[in-house]
Amino acid sequence: MTGRRLLLVVQRYGAEVVGGSEQHARLAAQRLARRHTVEVATTTALDYWTWAPYYVPGVVVVDGIRVRRFAVAAGRDPEFKAFEHHVLEEQHHVADELAWPRRQGPDCPDLLEFLHRHGREYDAILFYTYIYGPTALGLPIVPERAALISTAHDEYPLRLAPYRALFHVPRAIGYLTPEERAMVHARFHNEQVPDEVLGYAVGDAPAADVAAFRAKHGIPGPYVLYLGQVSEGKGCDELLAEWTAYREGGGAPDVTLVFAGTVRMAMPDRPDVRALGRVSETDKAGALAGAVALVQPSRLESLGIVLFEAWQYGTPALVHAANLITSGQTARAGAGRGYDQGGFGAALDAVRAARDAYGAAGLAYVRSECSFDAFDERLERLVEATVGA
Amino acid sequence: MRDRPSVLVVVQRYGDVSGGAEAHARALVAHLRPHADLAVATTTAADYRTWTNVYTAGIDAVDGVAVHRFPVESGRTRDFRLREHRAFAKVHPLAAEDAFVRAQGPVAPELLEHLRRHGREFDAILFFTYIYYPTVYGLPVVPERAVLVPTAHDEPALRLSVYRRLFHAPRAIAFNSEEERALVHRTFANERVPDDVVGVGVDVPADRDGTRFRARFGIEGPYLLYLGRIVESKGCATLFDHFLRWQRTAGASPAVLVLAGRGEPEMPIPSDPRIRLIGGLSDQQKFDALAGAAALVMPSLLESLSMVTLEAWAAGRPVIVDRRSPVLSSMTARAGGGLGYRSWMQFAEIAELLIADPALGDRLGRSGERFVQGTYTWPAVVEKYRDLFAEVGARNA
Repeated sequence: MTGRRLLLVVQRYGAEVVGGSEQHARLAAQRLARRHTVEVATTTALDYWTWAPYYVPGVVVVDGIRVRRFAVAAGRDPEFKAFEHHVLEEQHHVADELAWPRRQGPDCPDLLEFLHRHGREYDAILFYTYIYGPTALGLPIVPERAALISTAHDEYPLRLAPYRALFHVPRAIGYLTPEERAMVHARFHNEQVPDEVLGYAVGDAPAADVAAFRAKHGIPGPYVLYLGQVSEGKGCDELLAEWTAYREGGGAPDVTLVFAGTVRMAMPDRPDVRALGRVSETDKAGALAGAVALVQPSRLESLGIVLFEAWQYGTPALVHAANLITSGQTARAGAGRGYDQGGFGAALDAVRAARDAYGAAGLAYVRSECSFDAFDERLERLVEATVGA
Repeated sequence: MRDRPSVLVVVQRYGDVSGGAEAHARALVAHLRPHADLAVATTTAADYRTWTNVYTAGIDAVDGVAVHRFPVESGRTRDFRLREHRAFAKVHPLAAEDAFVRAQGPVAPELLEHLRRHGREFDAILFFTYIYYPTVYGLPVVPERAVLVPTAHDEPALRLSVYRRLFHAPRAIAFNSEEERALVHRTFANERVPDDVVGVGVDVPADRDGTRFRARFGIEGPYLLYLGRIVESKGCATLFDHFLRWQRTAGASPAVLVLAGRGEPEMPIPSDPRIRLIGGLSDQQKFDALAGAAALVMPSLLESLSMVTLEAWAAGRPVIVDRRSPVLSSMTARAGGGLGYRSWMQFAEIAELLIADPALGDRLGRSGERFVQGTYTWPAVVEKYRDLFAEVGARNA
């Protein structure tokens, strides 16, 4: 292999890992490995809540990429909820803020030690996700060769002491969206750090069999699809409230709201709302292709990969306008509508009336902006900005 | 930003304390006062070897400027030398570096809290000296308005991982010399951070009289002058050795080595009538001593910026430096303000030359004077800081 010697640092890594940042990291590693020698440094954790050890510490090869897994010395502090409340809501000391990354977990001193000892052996080190210890504590050890892929959204922890210098010291920053870039610049005034808006890449869409999906789940009529974890944290409760209000007002009597994903909240028992649980990749393709629209009610997405997946099938998106990132993305693509509180029904009606036009715009956007070639080029610019002259 | 920026100065000690960086900070505050609203955040310590709490914590005033002093939670620890040894080992764990910084002192967490709470009230925050806790942990709390005055020289600490972010995070860096800038850029590859060679200004009395000095201290004939602490780490042992070897050579021009500096000598001084210890001098006496000297000798190897060297040049006198000192020998070469030795024989040759040909010393001294006037004057220093503050303000606007 030729090219640069690159290290990618991320809190979790592996085929079993669920999470947007981690998915982005894995795709970036795979794409970069086509031109460069890429290694990954990560922890032994699988889930982002406990950070309990799952993988074996040591070096393994995943998809042809050398992955160094370092033991988690401590997962999330059992008292973290109380600690979080103290730091976010109460008078506290800077020492509390500085303790945040370790108490949140994963506390992974061996990974930091590795950066301290071997960081100089890499031309560039890409750090994923600003908020966790491997990045917050690791990047400052090797700022002269670091790129930060912050995956930040506007949330309170961004104001804490451990993160203030983090956005100033790297050689370059990769943002997922222009909205993330604008938000970070407004908060940190770190425009001097060269940056690249990375976006995302999706390959060819897997073949979709809409009829098979409808038959399997007994959904003959039009439906709006939600895809992902079904929880309050993702805004599904708000979506249900919007839906109920819309239907009570006589809206879209023929449409069903379909939830596909693990259910982590109480669901209403009504014929126009269906919760399918987690679905297979085949079902997912059929569900996306056949939907009137994909709805993304979350206010806290930092990218919203699922939007690109919907657009691949020419399916428009309905997004919460409070999320500047997904609504900005949707507006840029011209591939759907954003809605404010109480505006879901009107937005759905509008999208339904021009589904083909919105869908075609989405497909065109994905083809030009989310191609592997375009993504590779953006990654390459980030690496070059990091390595410098 | 307002016409008068508000500026906080963070430094490990402040007031009537010894130390180059601390004197630098205080002199700078005095000269910036007409141009900025100033405050100082420091510790309650007065000396850098123990960091013992001497001053009262709270608000104090020095030269009419508010000084906020924060308690030292822990000063230099008893195991400091061990911690230092471990951190400076070629292979060492990351934890050894944090342990070193803490053991070195002064650990002052309330100073960090002050920066978190009140940092945003200032347009710019100047951090003096890269090596101590207040800068190491304080600067990253307010990077967007930080200006670092590193006062770095080539020493093992500079290579520790814990210091790397300090040189990448601030809005701007004010170096003491071109040499320091080159060293830092070589070590950290942080050229992106805006910087300037700022240094300090040198004040010289117009009236300087070598005869007055000779009369006051009873010194006759040609003399070389050493100004500063008499201590091994400043190169004094080499100085005594070279001077006496030269003087004991057959045919050497008779000369005296005058040692001037406050405080008790921290090493034995050879008992020889040609070495004269005269103790501390007033500012006027110091410049009188310089005026009468064949040259100032500066044998120290580890200087970020030698104030006495600048003062000698400002007074139009040449310096004799150790060529192994990267900063001093390079600065002297750029200034054309003196000569460097690598051995006692070269030292002897230089000393003979300057005594035999006083016009040569005058020429070198004038060249040094021009060098100082080009960079190291207060109006120039103040102007550069105002530019840096404007830069910080523009970036945070």
